[in-house]
Amino acid sequence: MSTTDEESSGVLRSILPPEQVDRFLGTCDDYGWPLLGIGALVAASFPVLGLQGGYYMTVLTEMFLFAILALSWDIVGGQTGYPSFGNMAFFGIGAYATAILTKDFALAFPVAFLLAGLLAVSSAGIIGVVVLRLRGHYFAIATLGVLLVAQQVSRILDITGGASGKILLQTPSAETFYYLFLGVLVVEMALVYYLSGTRFGFVLNAIRDDEEKATAMGFNTTYYKTAAWMLAGLFTGFAGAAYSLFNTFIDPQTAYNGAWNVELIAMALLGGSGTVAGPVIGAFGLHTIIELVETFAVGWQLVLLGGAVIVTVIGFPKGVVGTLSEYASQMDYYKHGGMAATDTDDGSEVSADE
Amino acid sequence: MSKATSGPAAEAASDRAVLRTDGVTKRFGGLTAVDDVDIEIHRGEIVGLIGPNGAGKSTLFNCITGTLTPDEGRVYLQGEDVTDWPEHKIARAGLGRMFQETRIFGDMTVRKNLLLAAQEGGAGVSSLMRRPDSSLLARTDELLDYVDLGGLAETRAGRMSFGQQKLLEFAMELMSEPEILLMDEPAGGINPSMLGNLIDYIRNANEEQESTIFLIEHNMDFVMDIADRIYVLAHGERIADGTPEEIQNDQRVLDAYLGRE
Repeated sequence: MSTTDEESSGVLRSILPPEQVDRFLGTCDDYGWPLLGIGALVAASFPVLGLQGGYYMTVLTEMFLFAILALSWDIVGGQTGYPSFGNMAFFGIGAYATAILTKDFALAFPVAFLLAGLLAVSSAGIIGVVVLRLRGHYFAIATLGVLLVAQQVSRILDITGGASGKILLQTPSAETFYYLFLGVLVVEMALVYYLSGTRFGFVLNAIRDDEEKATAMGFNTTYYKTAAWMLAGLFTGFAGAAYSLFNTFIDPQTAYNGAWNVELIAMALLGGSGTVAGPVIGAFGLHTIIELVETFAVGWQLVLLGGAVIVTVIGFPKGVVGTLSEYASQMDYYKHGGMAATDTDDGSEVSADE
Repeated sequence: MSKATSGPAAEAASDRAVLRTDGVTKRFGGLTAVDDVDIEIHRGEIVGLIGPNGAGKSTLFNCITGTLTPDEGRVYLQGEDVTDWPEHKIARAGLGRMFQETRIFGDMTVRKNLLLAAQEGGAGVSSLMRRPDSSLLARTDELLDYVDLGGLAETRAGRMSFGQQKLLEFAMELMSEPEILLMDEPAGGINPSMLGNLIDYIRNANEEQESTIFLIEHNMDFVMDIADRIYVLAHGERIADGTPEEIQNDQRVLDAYLGRE
């Protein structure tokens, strides 16, 4: 909310009073677990109620996939303040791991899936120790480098099928993937939601706000950053592990998809980074729009994506959830009074930690 | 410490020291920012550190907290040599620090700032994964009321005024109950009435909880009023130490401040 729209803000206030938004957000906060449970049950019931494998099931499955990717990015990018441009590296590692393990080693898919997650999380550990020493732009560029290196390696090796990739024909049913992606997403949301209320989650936020101060308070920030990064790597790896078989084909371009990397960041920002619901809402919303564009205006999806990123960053840097909670709490400080409510109220940041 | 008093008595005295530096020296290229500085602070003391701009006060602080590693000399925290420890480990061993520019976690709520400061449980995985319990929450309310920030618990810390942020930072230190608290210009940039409050809080903490405080300060009235003892640095060297009265009448100190040397 900038100062130029005082008028419209007045109208908005009468239609949508901040107190009600505040109450709504408070309710969501208080009933986080039931809401998550209801959401999971509703999503799980669609196939039972007659949703068949086909276009709509594929779209929903992809929404879950992107929600996993956006939420994973946000653990490090939003909660910890380390914006990565290389998350898709773990996606590719997971994707190739299941492809190779099921096709060349004839392992069962569940075993391959778990091993792929393990591989992604251990690569995240090793890479994290190196790149998490960097901050800001340097971190972003280093992670982008990791992604490019991983992509190139998969192009060179024989076992990955080189540049032509791997075709995977023996795959589980569409319904299996629907439930698998949904399951991973629900587990991840539950975990992030739980962690955001623990000391571990507080420390991640503290690193985002002022890493030096966090160190001076006795927190070994390297340890926390690496843990968060590995958590993100694990879930991104799981998403990739399921994706290669879901897609029945994997090559360096799809496994380490640079456009997706931008897309998942856009989703997290659009929905509201640093929150649990934000990246998921952003993923569902943006993916719906992208699907619509793909149906009705073929070829414009990347233009739209770029436009959405620009509008979000300029207009709603805190995303949907962040902007709402800022709106809801903007009078909070004055209501509860302060002895000297004079300076520093730039109103440019938000405290949506849930 | 002078050589003449070495022996069992002096050793016993050093053991009681919460913080002791022994010949700490820090150079930046050709510049010696801190030159062979010895200090010793005992439990329950409020000790001031003063000196003209560029005297090396903040550098000395950084050497003590582990932000910088001294080129020479040792730093002892409660008798333990912590010179080569990483910063976070020294902090966990009981050294609290308030920065010159107030530093709180601006995007987090006031309460979460305080909860972070609570040291109990340490860094064990089980305590990291627990949600804060009710006694901890009660303690945050108590402290917020104490520093007149009650009612702001759920407000984003970055929204508060500068002075309030300073009080929050102080409350965070009360929450963590460090063995010794290093404060870099606590009186800097806050209005006189709030300064009065802050002095009371510091005094109370010192008298009631035996908090040990080591503070850098430019506000002479404030430091002469609150400190039990004062060290004076100039050009990285310790040029004087003593009670506020002694310091005020020390010719070398006056010369250093007036630029005669």
